[in-house]
Formats: sequence, C-alpha cells, structure tokens
Amino acid sequence: MALLKLCWTLIVINALTIGGGFVMLPMLQKEFVENNHWLTNREFLDAIAIGQLTPGPLTVMNAVIGYKVSGLFGAILAMVSSYLPCIIIVTIVAKYYYDYKESKIVRASFLGIKPAVIGLLAAVAISLGQTALVDPVTIGIAIISFAVIAFTKTDPSFAIVGAGIAGAILL
Amino acid sequence: MEDEITVKDIFWKFLKIGSFSFGGVYSMLSFFERELVEKDKWLTHDEFIESVAIGQMTPGPPIVNTGICIGYKLKRIKGALATTAGQSFTGTLLAIVLAVFYVKSKGNVLLTSVMKGVGAAVVGLLISIIFKMAKTTIRNYRTGLFALAAFFALAVFRLNPIVLILASAVLGVVVFGRRV
Repeated sequence: MALLKLCWTLIVINALTIGGGFVMLPMLQKEFVENNHWLTNREFLDAIAIGQLTPGPLTVMNAVIGYKVSGLFGAILAMVSSYLPCIIIVTIVAKYYYDYKESKIVRASFLGIKPAVIGLLAAVAISLGQTALVDPVTIGIAIISFAVIAFTKTDPSFAIVGAGIAGAILL
Repeated sequence: MEDEITVKDIFWKFLKIGSFSFGGVYSMLSFFERELVEKDKWLTHDEFIESVAIGQMTPGPPIVNTGICIGYKLKRIKGALATTAGQSFTGTLLAIVLAVFYVKSKGNVLLTSVMKGVGAAVVGLLISIIFKMAKTTIRNYRTGLFALAAFFALAVFRLNPIVLILASAVLGVVVFGRRV
C-alpha cells in the first residue's frame, strides 16, 4: 500500500511541477514528511542534497525517498513514477506544439503558477531553515552558500561539498 | 536521415549526456546542442530550440523534458523512453548508492556533522533559487500578491500545495486570461 501511495503521489506531483525540479519541493515535503511521516525534515534536506550532488536533475532525489520507503525496488519505482507523467505530457505537447503554445489558458495558468511557486518555496525554506539552522556556524554556512550561488556562477554542487567539509571540521 | 539512428544509439548518446551533466541548465543545453546538432546532426538548430521551449513549458525537469521531446522527434515513443532512461541512469544509480550509504551509516558522528553543514547549504541554495525566480517572475503587484497568498496559504494555513498549485492555475486564467 505504501508503494502504491508513493507512486501515485509522485505521479501527481511531477505532473504539476512546472518550472524546474525545485517546484516539487513544497508538494514532496507536505506529502512525505508531514502527511505520511516517511521522512523527517532532516532526511528530506539530505535527500535534496543528494539530488543536487548527483548528475542530472534534482528529481533523482525521489530515488532516495523511494529507497527510504521501500528499498531498491522503491527507488526504481519512484523514478519511473516521476518520469511517467513527463513522458506522457511531453509527447502529447510535442505533437500539438503550436496549438499548445498559442493556448491562452495554458499561458494564463502558467502566469498564475509561477509566482505562487515562489511563495510556496519561501514557506519550505523557512520550514527547512528551522531544522537546519541551529547555531551560528550553520547560519553562517547558509549565508555564504546563498551569496556564492546567487552572486557568482559557482555550481551549487561545489557549495554543497564545501559545506560538507566545513561541517566535518566545525560541527 | 532518421532511419539511420537506432533506439540504442539514442540511449547511449543520452547516457553520455546524463552522466556528464553537472552544472547548470545552460551549460547542459549547450552540451546537448554540440552533441546532437553540431556533431551528429540528428536535429536542426530550429528543432532543437523548439524542443528546449517544449521542455520549459511542460511539467517535470526541463532538461529531461527536452530530451524526451528530442527522443520523440527521432523515434516516437521508443525514442522518448530511450532518452529518459539514458539521461537518468547514472544520476539514479549514484543517488541509490548514496542512499544505501546514508541509511547504513546513520548515527555516524562524522556523517552527522557533514550533513549538518550540507543541510545549511541546501537552505542557502533554496533561498538563492527563490531569489533568482523572484527577480524574473515578480514584476507587478498582481504577481507579488500571488506569491504572498501562496506563502501564507502554506506557511500559516498549512494548505496542501497540490491544491494551491491547481488553484493558482485557475486564478491565473481568471486574472491574466484576458491579457495574454
């Protein structure tokens, strides 16, 4: 039952993730951390870090969540469920691209979703911040990572590796 | 030209792309274009640009979706499956290896310290993403209100974000529908 729920939730979430992998975070946190208690907030943070460190999109973090829920099989099933809606929707859109592109409803709904997602992500950042930022060192690491990623062209993976090393030495 | 390309070729090509896709979306897209348009000539430049556009306006990771679209153009649904499998293989494998290691060494003191630092960096990363998205998306009071409303709905009223995204799509049609 847990596996079915995992698959269904990931299918729904990925079908609604417009604008990049980070958009799925508010939905993943609600379903997996708050509603089902499959992960703690800390484990959720760690899954994001793993998704960011590995090549390819952040979506591979769902393999980590799947593994946590149900081992290797859960991990594979999580990835299949994450990509299934993409394959279906993209192939349909590829076929009817020009109708889709000109569709006022699609464009207007994206105009609503995009700013809303920013608000949702801000709420997630606060919730994760309460778990992760517990002392001056962690607050310092967060500020430095933010500055490095936002204002230089550094790959976020370097910031994460650097923060891991800083953690090993300072924490 | 299309009939020379096999599903296997597509899989290997995207396995290569997916395995070396560290770095941001833009460095990846230029890698895509070099491999597929300039080197192999599987696609024209215009087909590539169209695939990127479709990747960005469909749900899911834009890079994977661009790959799905290219695969579909080359070999229909089999091509789409080959690009997805190729592109996600290495990342998924590595993520599973790290997950096994992570679960097995739970409670290890060093790992706990490392992950404390990493967790703080993830929060910093998330804020920088919000910052970058806000700079391009929030342009007037309407979009600002959408963001604020969504924030309070989740942070204070703890509503379900799936419902909130659907609601913002509907409200988007109501508010912006006449202007697009």
